[in-house]
Amino acid sequence: MKKLWSVVLLGLSLAVAGCSGGNSNTGNGSPASSSPAGSATQSEASPSPQASGAEPQELVVIGQEINASLDPVKPLTSSYLRNIGAGEALFKVNAGGEVEPSLAESATEVDPTTWEIKLRPEVRFWSGKAVNADAVIASLERSKSLDLQAQPFLNDLTITKLDDYTLQVRTNREHLPVPLNLSYYQTIIHNAEASHEDVATMDLTGMYKVTEFAPKQKMVLAINEDYWGRKPTIPTVVFEEISDEQTRVLSALSGRSHVTLNVPVSSLTQFKDNKEVYLSAAPAASTQTIYLNLSQPQLQDVRVRQALSWGADRDELVILAAEGQSTPVTTWLGSNPAYAEAKNAVYSQFDADKAAGLLDEAGWLKESDGIRYKDGKPLTVRLMTWGGDKALGEALQSQWTRIGVKAEVQHGDYSLIETARESGDWDASIEAWSTFGEEYAVLSGQYSSDGGANYGGYKDEETSRLLEELKKAGDPQSRHDLALQINERVARQAPVISLFPRPQVTAVSSSLQGFEEHFRQFENVVNANLTLTAQ
Amino acid sequence: MHTVLLRKLLEALLTLLFATLIIFALIRLAPGDPVRLMLGHPGEIAAQGTSAYDEKVAELRAELGLDRNIAVQYVTWLGRLAQGDLGTSIFTGKQVGSEIAARLPATVTLSLSALLVQIALGLIFGMVAALRSGKLADQLIRIACVALASTPAFVVGLVALALFAVKYGVYEISSDFSAARLWLPALTLGVLGAPQLVRIMRANLLTEFGKIYVSSAQSRGLDRKRVVRHAARNALIPLVTMVALSFAGLIGGAVVIESIFSWPGIGKYALDSILVKDYPVIQGYALVAVLMVVLIHFLVDVVYSALDPRIHHKGEAGREEKA
Amino acid sequence: MKRRLNSKNPASLIIGLVVLAILAIAILGAPLLAPYDPVAQNAAERLEKPSEKHWLGTDRFGRDILSRTLHGGQTTLLSSLLALCAALAIGLLVGMAAGMFHGSALDHILMRIIDVLLAFPFMVFAMVIAGLFGTGLVHLLLAVVSVWWVSFARLTRSVVLHAKNETSYAAAKVLGASNLAIMRKELLPKAISPVLILATFELGTLILSIAALSFLGLGAQPPAPEWGSMLADGRAHFFQAPHILIGPAAFIVATVLAFNLIGEGLRDRLDPYEKLEL
Repeated sequence: MKKLWSVVLLGLSLAVAGCSGGNSNTGNGSPASSSPAGSATQSEASPSPQASGAEPQELVVIGQEINASLDPVKPLTSSYLRNIGAGEALFKVNAGGEVEPSLAESATEVDPTTWEIKLRPEVRFWSGKAVNADAVIASLERSKSLDLQAQPFLNDLTITKLDDYTLQVRTNREHLPVPLNLSYYQTIIHNAEASHEDVATMDLTGMYKVTEFAPKQKMVLAINEDYWGRKPTIPTVVFEEISDEQTRVLSALSGRSHVTLNVPVSSLTQFKDNKEVYLSAAPAASTQTIYLNLSQPQLQDVRVRQALSWGADRDELVILAAEGQSTPVTTWLGSNPAYAEAKNAVYSQFDADKAAGLLDEAGWLKESDGIRYKDGKPLTVRLMTWGGDKALGEALQSQWTRIGVKAEVQHGDYSLIETARESGDWDASIEAWSTFGEEYAVLSGQYSSDGGANYGGYKDEETSRLLEELKKAGDPQSRHDLALQINERVARQAPVISLFPRPQVTAVSSSLQGFEEHFRQFENVVNANLTLTAQ
Repeated sequence: MHTVLLRKLLEALLTLLFATLIIFALIRLAPGDPVRLMLGHPGEIAAQGTSAYDEKVAELRAELGLDRNIAVQYVTWLGRLAQGDLGTSIFTGKQVGSEIAARLPATVTLSLSALLVQIALGLIFGMVAALRSGKLADQLIRIACVALASTPAFVVGLVALALFAVKYGVYEISSDFSAARLWLPALTLGVLGAPQLVRIMRANLLTEFGKIYVSSAQSRGLDRKRVVRHAARNALIPLVTMVALSFAGLIGGAVVIESIFSWPGIGKYALDSILVKDYPVIQGYALVAVLMVVLIHFLVDVVYSALDPRIHHKGEAGREEKA
Repeated sequence: MKRRLNSKNPASLIIGLVVLAILAIAILGAPLLAPYDPVAQNAAERLEKPSEKHWLGTDRFGRDILSRTLHGGQTTLLSSLLALCAALAIGLLVGMAAGMFHGSALDHILMRIIDVLLAFPFMVFAMVIAGLFGTGLVHLLLAVVSVWWVSFARLTRSVVLHAKNETSYAAAKVLGASNLAIMRKELLPKAISPVLILATFELGTLILSIAALSFLGLGAQPPAPEWGSMLADGRAHFFQAPHILIGPAAFIVATVLAFNLIGEGLRDRLDPYEKLEL
């Protein structure tokens, strides 16, 4: 009987294994992925008739994550929709950092608190409905009321209709860069009356239309034949989520994916001398920063905080944590290309001696065990990290230990950090916020006393005063100067310690032409110029 | 025998009820606010004026019923469960039931396939190791088992992918659930889980070989093959428990393998929900996992009664019942 | 056909113990044997292949892997053995109790608890523990033991139920032996061998689960060296520098091998049935 069993089992196993021949896709709303005709043009390195990478009909984009929903007001959803060419906002930011019209035709500043925006009469939603002033207002109102992350951009705006294709925008502050505000993905224009629950009823304006969707798994799109602008040429786009970073890398190397986002820096050597895939490492405008809890006794003294900044060897951190794929930044705005002059301000270099001096001055004296003590208590800092920042935390720990700080790293998931912040029982945590945007919005969110990212409770009169001035500032030049001043003040007060811009690496197949590097790559992959060539 | 099975069914239901309480209590006990996590991931511009934020949080919590008394929430959940409603995901707004149903087939298929591989390998190599006990073959098998059991899953998985997807190009890296993509993760998972079955099978067989009935059978002149067959059949019984344990573990979602092979099963889904504290999803997932395991144990009991004739006949008194 | 009496070959047991002894000496002697400070970082020497200077190479921070492996062994082995003993003890006890008093209320309650814990997804459980009690190695062990004892209990119970059918058990009962004596003489020896064998492989799984759960924050916190964490951390550079896994992996294999040899060697000794050669 056992023999019979083993035969049956072996047979079943072979049957399972034997099913590997075909490329049949079943189940779960997976698409009719076009089975590739024998691609004899593939290079010898990977002779894979199955890798649809050589198939010019389909563009495969792989990301670390894709949307969980189709509704643009749900968190992060609109960034993916825009990324893949399905959703558009009134304006957009180009690779040079300038704001360009997108769905809108033009914008004019009529007076310091009023703008006029002209819409394009030819734009239609996928359903055919006109994208006129009413539709735009309805969409923006919906985003404002349902999407918390859209509020920083829309709260200061009051939009009214002048005529069918002209909008009037009144702002709470003078000289608010309205086009910039209306370029963020959270403001993409969608049909507010449509149900965005499933593919058949969702209604956007983009060059690609969603034809299939499996949440957090796969999205398939086809060309929008009635697109208002220049139509793309690649018929199908497949956007898939592969959350494991090494698997993403292997996907890029196997040739199946044409664009692979969020390539981990630790895998860069795997792409060395690879003719089929090249890496695009456009630096992102977002700064890896250590946020300090100013309520903690040992962190209340500004000298201690400054010492922590002087004692951080950013060059070494870039090597250890970012594999050299970044450059040190000592002030927060330094990662924003427009403020490159502030990259090395205040803490111009790593200076352990200066750090030691400051700590001595503050009363923390080094004892025989190498740790600094004051009133019998050791100088401890508990550094909380999450996601991929464990290595960064570990490197910092080692560096701070050298200046006599007892640093502990607590690595976990983000909810642990949130919980700790609620209770107030935390010392330091690492996070990266975007530094690109309208200066007042960006800086007040970080450093005003009720700023959402002001985790440490930073309250500084000078900073608040400068922020108020920035709020009222008229011309770009004074805004720029004030922003620099705030940036410097904050760096000196050190409620946060800036380290380096977060690396952003994308793997692109050599068979893809027209790919555009962008400092906000996560929302700028698909464009109408993309073409696939057989390799 | 029917009374036995009926009782087992009742026990299964009781287990499930008990499970709902534990699941709910444990998950809600852990700190972490799903609403804040949903609204507050860093990245873009920080909102100014946290009062608006706090209002929104309170609003959403009320909408989701998270502000009510915890006992009330439990009873509400239980009530919906009785109607087959697993609730709605906080993060996606979709029905948990349908989301799990969409992903469960992938995990079950993978688990079953891996289980088949495990059983096949366990039977074959366990048998060989037992028959050649003490000899070279046995030692080699032992070393192979130990090496596999000590290797992290990701090593085997990533090497397999690098080999078959990149180097030879016979495996597609995508997020599809398809027959063509099943063989590699199933094989990997199966191979990783086989060592335990191999060793247990070997141990059981050796015990059986040493038993009195075997020697008496041999002294009566029965041929070796039949003796081995009888021993194998008896050795299978505790093995069934092992297999059940193994499957229970696999159903839990073989998260690492699902993640590496980008296999769209419930393991990865659960992991994502765990990280954002999506209560309805975690509760639903835990419940489904428990349900499946209880089901498997029930089936195991049925199989036991079939395998061991002593149970079949003694039934109710239960002395001879297997676990 | 040969029939060997007392063919309990002690070779497995001895080899296992020897390997374990060597490991123990190496690990306990880490402060003396390790050539470098296990936490000293050196960016200039990162990800170096094994060489004269660093026998097992260096990791992403330039730390010497050999030193980290030796030091890490203390943490890993001590904690996993502790967890194993705890889980074994609880599991055997509960399993025997449930099996012996089969059919009673005690058995039913224990079985329900076992079923639920067994079925409960471990990842969720671990997350709950992390959220409730905090991160760190101790909490990981807490999570692991809370769930681990269950598989041992179930296996023990099944063995006990099987053993109750044996004539020796009936004989013991007829002769009036106390429950405790029966547990010790009849059931424990029978239960020990499959349970121990399961345990030896579970040991490897435990060490590896430390690696798998580190993303939740459970496990040794930096910079403490620990085999599981070293494997998890080494994953990022797996293709670039696979050698960084060799150190901890080799030691884990050696440890599991030693325990497996001991486990199966013990089985051979403890098994009351003579081993027949067919």
